Amino acid sequence: MHYYTNAHWHIEADVFVLRPHSGVPLHRQLYEQIRRLVAGGQLAPGTALPSIRELALTHTINPMTVSKVYARLEAEGVLERNRGKLMTVAAQRSAQATHSARLAALEQPLENLVLAARQLELDADAVVEALKEKWEMSDAATVRGRARPNKSV
Amino acid sequence: MQPPYVVAHDLTKAFDSKSVLSGVSFEVRPGDVIGVLGKNGAGKTTLLELVLGFTPPSSGRVEILGHESYRLPGAVKTRVGFVPQQDELVNQLTAGDQLKLIRSFYRTWDDALVARLVATWDIDLRQRVKNMSVGQRQKLSIVIALGHRPDLLILDEPVASLDPLARRHFLEQIVEIAADGNRSVVLSSHIVSDIERLANKIWILKDGRLHWAGDVDDLKDSVVRVHLHGARLPLRDVRIPNALSVDYGDTYATAIVHDWSAALEAEIAGLTGAQLEVEGLTLEDIFLAMHR
Repeated sequence: MHYYTNAHWHIEADVFVLRPHSGVPLHRQLYEQIRRLVAGGQLAPGTALPSIRELALTHTINPMTVSKVYARLEAEGVLERNRGKLMTVAAQRSAQATHSARLAALEQPLENLVLAARQLELDADAVVEALKEKWEMSDAATVRGRARPNKSV
Repeated sequence: MQPPYVVAHDLTKAFDSKSVLSGVSFEVRPGDVIGVLGKNGAGKTTLLELVLGFTPPSSGRVEILGHESYRLPGAVKTRVGFVPQQDELVNQLTAGDQLKLIRSFYRTWDDALVARLVATWDIDLRQRVKNMSVGQRQKLSIVIALGHRPDLLILDEPVASLDPLARRHFLEQIVEIAADGNRSVVLSSHIVSDIERLANKIWILKDGRLHWAGDVDDLKDSVVRVHLHGARLPLRDVRIPNALSVDYGDTYATAIVHDWSAALEAEIAGLTGAQLEVEGLTLEDIFLAMHR
């Protein structure tokens, strides 16, 4: 299976959910989503990311926002730049990041959840119960990145 | 690094001794998409007209590519595109003849781009301009401004009369220009969410001054809403530093503060003894908070 080799798979630009009209800066939304998809293994090593232009056009956002995020993720070793080609998920990373790395990516949402629960004066057990219920209701497939064969290869 | 397209220094403009702009300085760099926000009468159109050299500043200086805007050589003018708030189309011409007329002024006219936009926007080239709807006229004005592939594109409320689909097409054109990397766009609009999508920098004009200028993402990190709960003392008695506005409830308060930082967070927590929850704001929220 050539899934893990160079850029035979790419991720569609519309996999990302970007909300410009939000309190979270766009670059942070994109950065965190790519990090999470890589940490979760949905974006496997070698998977190509959309070109800056394609991602910017799909979401009608400033290309600089995308290039800033790609450059930062490249500096952090998450993505790698291929001469004249698309950015790909860096090969040296294991397909699935370690359990602790994936948990670390959940830190911010967890903090928000705990804060909200405390403000509502709910105890931990009640929150865990509600979380389990949500978990069972959600379809795991809906959160998977839709990696597709690269049309051009 | 390429030199900036536009440099303005300490611009002031008054009409009949009524000050419209004062002390405005800025730069437009290659690759910038700058969103200009301000309520009606804040000076947006005057600012754009000063950049374009339609009117001289009362004092200060504005240059495009090193040339004073008010005395711009023809060769520099052809590198600038402009969509005015009120179109300057010739009523007697057909849309096609209007395009031909403008085409004759520019050596860089991009026939393929113009044909594509005309097709996408269903512009009937045989129709006389005077019989076109406001939206169609606006589209034609945009095609004219884009047709010669300007390095610097300046737009004053270009989307006010466009339907949502045409507006999206227009925004895509702006992305295309930005993707070229060395062209720039300065765009004034009341549709804050468009600016939020596209601009990497914004200028917020207020009472004729440049109230805030900088990176959109920096602004979102700087101006935030803080919810305060469980304070030791009645929150009404505390002056919250850097607050643009504060709403009080019985046991809580919500403040919008500027120049947010960990130090400010600690200061507010220390002053009030409250637990703080911080929430990011949309550009529209920030704009409104600045005008409260």
